[in-house]
Amino acid sequence: MIFTEAKRYYVERRAVDRMLGTRSDSFEHYFGRLRADVQGEIEQFVNAFTVNETYFYREEHQLVCLTSDLLAARLTVKPRGEPIRIWSVPCSTGEEPYSIAIWLLENWPHVDEYDIEIVGSDIDTDAVALARVGVYGKRALMRLPARLVDKYFEADDGASWRILDDLRQSVRFTAVNLVDRANTRLHGKFDVIFCRNVLIYFDDLARRTAAENLFENLSPGGFICLGHTESMSRVSPLFDVARFADAIVYQRPMR
Amino acid sequence: MADDTPKRVLVIDDATLVRRYYRSALERAGFEVAEALNGVEALEHLLAARFDLLVVDVNMPQMDGLSFLQTLRAKSLPLSSTPALVTSTESAPQRIAAASAAGANFYVVKPLHAEALVQYASLLCGIRHG
Amino acid sequence: MPLIRKPPSAAAPQTAAPALDARAVLEALARGNDDERWAAARAAADFPAAVPALGDALAHEKSPTVRQALFSALARIATPQSVETILPFLRSDDALIRTEASDALLAMRDVAWPFVPVLLRDPDASVRTQACVLVRDMPSPVAVSLCCDLLDSEPDPNVCAAAVEALAEIGEASALPALMRCADRFRATPFLEFSIRIAIDRVRSQVLNPRA
Repeated sequence: MIFTEAKRYYVERRAVDRMLGTRSDSFEHYFGRLRADVQGEIEQFVNAFTVNETYFYREEHQLVCLTSDLLAARLTVKPRGEPIRIWSVPCSTGEEPYSIAIWLLENWPHVDEYDIEIVGSDIDTDAVALARVGVYGKRALMRLPARLVDKYFEADDGASWRILDDLRQSVRFTAVNLVDRANTRLHGKFDVIFCRNVLIYFDDLARRTAAENLFENLSPGGFICLGHTESMSRVSPLFDVARFADAIVYQRPMR
Repeated sequence: MADDTPKRVLVIDDATLVRRYYRSALERAGFEVAEALNGVEALEHLLAARFDLLVVDVNMPQMDGLSFLQTLRAKSLPLSSTPALVTSTESAPQRIAAASAAGANFYVVKPLHAEALVQYASLLCGIRHG
Repeated sequence: MPLIRKPPSAAAPQTAAPALDARAVLEALARGNDDERWAAARAAADFPAAVPALGDALAHEKSPTVRQALFSALARIATPQSVETILPFLRSDDALIRTEASDALLAMRDVAWPFVPVLLRDPDASVRTQACVLVRDMPSPVAVSLCCDLLDSEPDPNVCAAAVEALAEIGEASALPALMRCADRFRATPFLEFSIRIAIDRVRSQVLNPRA
């Protein structure tokens, strides 16, 4: 990766994030960890430069896992008529929940047979407002084949595209603080939760609380997916580890 | 059938220096080594790849070694029969019995000597549980 | 008309259970089913007076899931009394309960720290080891001082190893003399010698890059 002077702030922010994440109280201390690759810090450092990018069809292998395995597993235990509920939190400016919707429409043969509720939530109310508007630039769409951009977006101006109204109405957006139980409980129980790249920023107690809240927001047997560099091993023992062909996910135990 | 592929060992311990000590001894003896810092991470490794031996500490954050072993032994074959050497600071009989009940094949009191670890690992890589 | 078929009343997720008051929490902790004890444990985080009841519940609770919530409530209440309630569980014969108690103390951090010097002198070597894990997150001058004092007098090599691990991570030069003295004491324990060598290297690399 090459960074110009213009990217200095971006680089500094990522380094500070890793210093916070490793509880290093000086850059020298952090640099020592980096050079000795303590607890895989080199990889963490590199990932820090890509982790906060959000775009459509990010971590596609988890979407594959959703339609190949997770939904089928849920349907074997769900009562008939109960809607499928999927939560994307944090949803940032909406790329992830809209991706889930598009992916389901394109890849799940049963998408028209079930009621599906997709909820996108974030603590940043500005991001949620933007998600509801649904306008995106080229970078956010870079992983989507042109065919899908044509199918689900309309050109807004030369440099941006707006999600079609019919798709915008397929996702519900809310503001949420994952550490606030009164807040998270209002969202009900989900079959699948995507909670990527946010728990790593919490301290131990907040992470623990958030994990318990997320546990409560899962139906028994429901699944939660973390970011691909994240693991429940640093978060909580509440969930079972489940492996599928395309991803390792975590599961609230069945009763 | 002669098997020339290196034996794969998963070292499960929350102490970085312990994992490093075991890794250096085992790699020098020709084993391939992976590491996990607790039982949850160990399960993630085991669901993704096959191992010939587990070296499992007892006291670890999130999921201790005995809970991990119980979870492992409840899974299906061949994963569930992976040989496990439990390492512990405790020598009391009831602690050893607990490890055995959880599914340990072998129990060693820490601190472990590099040569002893290599001997036990070589021995256990030929044994299947149950 | 949305492309994805939504449930008819999309604005109405399943209702949350009603909030519990202190009396209901205590009642459910003692007599509830699994779900009720879980909910009561989570709600108890708002009631510092529930600490003794949480300790009682922990003494009998068989469900690791409910225990996690009980320990979390104590960690969130975060008083010296909640620390004292957790400490006996560090000595449990059940490895999982020891882990749960240790993790809860780590989540309480600064509230648990005043207890660390006493824990470092506990008759039980396993408790002393767990105290070394707590030391790692303390402010570094105190942490280094506690670890170095331990290295000069601790008879158990496993406890020394835990203190060495903490010093390796903190990386302060002032730890060097105590590390070297400990290596002398434990020449017959190759693992500890190895660990101390690594810790010394790590500390020395910090010394070569002095803080501004």
